[in-house]
Amino acid sequence: MVNINATFIWQIVNFLILVFILAKFAYKPILNMMEERKNKIASDLEAAEKAKESAGNLKEEYQARVSNAKQEAQVILDNARKTAQAVHDKIIADTKAEQEQVIAAAKDSIELEKKKAMDDIRSQVINLSMIAASKIVEQKLGSEEDKKMAGEIVDALINK
Amino acid sequence: MGNETVEAARIAADAAAEAEHSQEMIHYLAWNTPLGEIHMQTMMMTWIAMAIVFLLFFAASRNPKMIPSGLQNVLEYFIDFLDGLMESNLGVKGRKYMAPFIITLFMFILVSNEIGMLPQAGIHWTSPTNDVNTCFALSITVAVSVYIVGVIHHGMSHFKHFISPNPVFLPLHLLDAITKPLTMALRLFGNILAGEILLIVLYELVPWVIPELWVMFSLFIGFIQAFIFTVLALTSYATVFGEH
Repeated sequence: MVNINATFIWQIVNFLILVFILAKFAYKPILNMMEERKNKIASDLEAAEKAKESAGNLKEEYQARVSNAKQEAQVILDNARKTAQAVHDKIIADTKAEQEQVIAAAKDSIELEKKKAMDDIRSQVINLSMIAASKIVEQKLGSEEDKKMAGEIVDALINK
Repeated sequence: MGNETVEAARIAADAAAEAEHSQEMIHYLAWNTPLGEIHMQTMMMTWIAMAIVFLLFFAASRNPKMIPSGLQNVLEYFIDFLDGLMESNLGVKGRKYMAPFIITLFMFILVSNEIGMLPQAGIHWTSPTNDVNTCFALSITVAVSVYIVGVIHHGMSHFKHFISPNPVFLPLHLLDAITKPLTMALRLFGNILAGEILLIVLYELVPWVIPELWVMFSLFIGFIQAFIFTVLALTSYATVFGEH
């Protein structure tokens, strides 16, 4: 069973032939493919990491932009509110002033009319009293009643 | 006188028959050729094993896919496993240099160990590694190639490792250089031959179940022995590629 002979030599030859054939025809494509895959996975992972990083940056950028836009919108809204309030206040104030002016004008004209009316009444009264006085003066003044009336008038004037 | 001759002839014939019978358990089909005695059984099984290894790799390497599947996946698993072993023993440079040799060594021993366990239907399957010639051929090839690769890489200074750390260790290194291929070959040979002999014996003792269990175990042993042989070969190459 343990018999070393020429088989030994041939087995060495067989094995070396197998190594040679496989090295020549079979290993290169497989080993290259494995190496290529290894590199591809490494580069893909790296690319994925980069993409993730840039996506993170973009996200931050957009978030910053959105928050800026929000702030700007808030500023615009605030300004619009202020403007609207100012316009509102102005309109109210103008209206009030106008109203007061109208009222004042009305009051003035009422006062004027009133004065005019009073003047009219006064001149009428004067005229009437002149007429009445002339009629009274045309008659004789000498009765006791006349004396009493003159006296009352004089009193009233003096007491005034 | 005539009786004695007949008796002697009968005894001789019995002895021959017995010898023949004992040879039957594992027979190597020895041929006497002008180049010396050759075990044709071993040679044919070796060629079959070579053909299997070659066809496996050839089929897988024809159109290797970026996303492997099937056979390519299986072979890449083995290559990756061996790459890991080579890288830890020889470094990246050593792995790239030795990969074709080591992968072939492992796959050839693995296939050789396992084909002896195939059902004996039509073909009398035996492991080429059940022949001590095959095992010595492999271990001597490894031992000699270590010197060749060493001289290619380091010139004659490769042989300095025989006197490291100092010349006192020379006998130990010489002993190691001789015993290493010897033990590698005999370990492989003994395991595989014993496995096959025991399988035949078990078939004769208990024809059912037990031999099948032994076949399963032998398949496992076949893998382990291929692995051990490869790892021991790698430790030899580590003296060339390792950072000593």
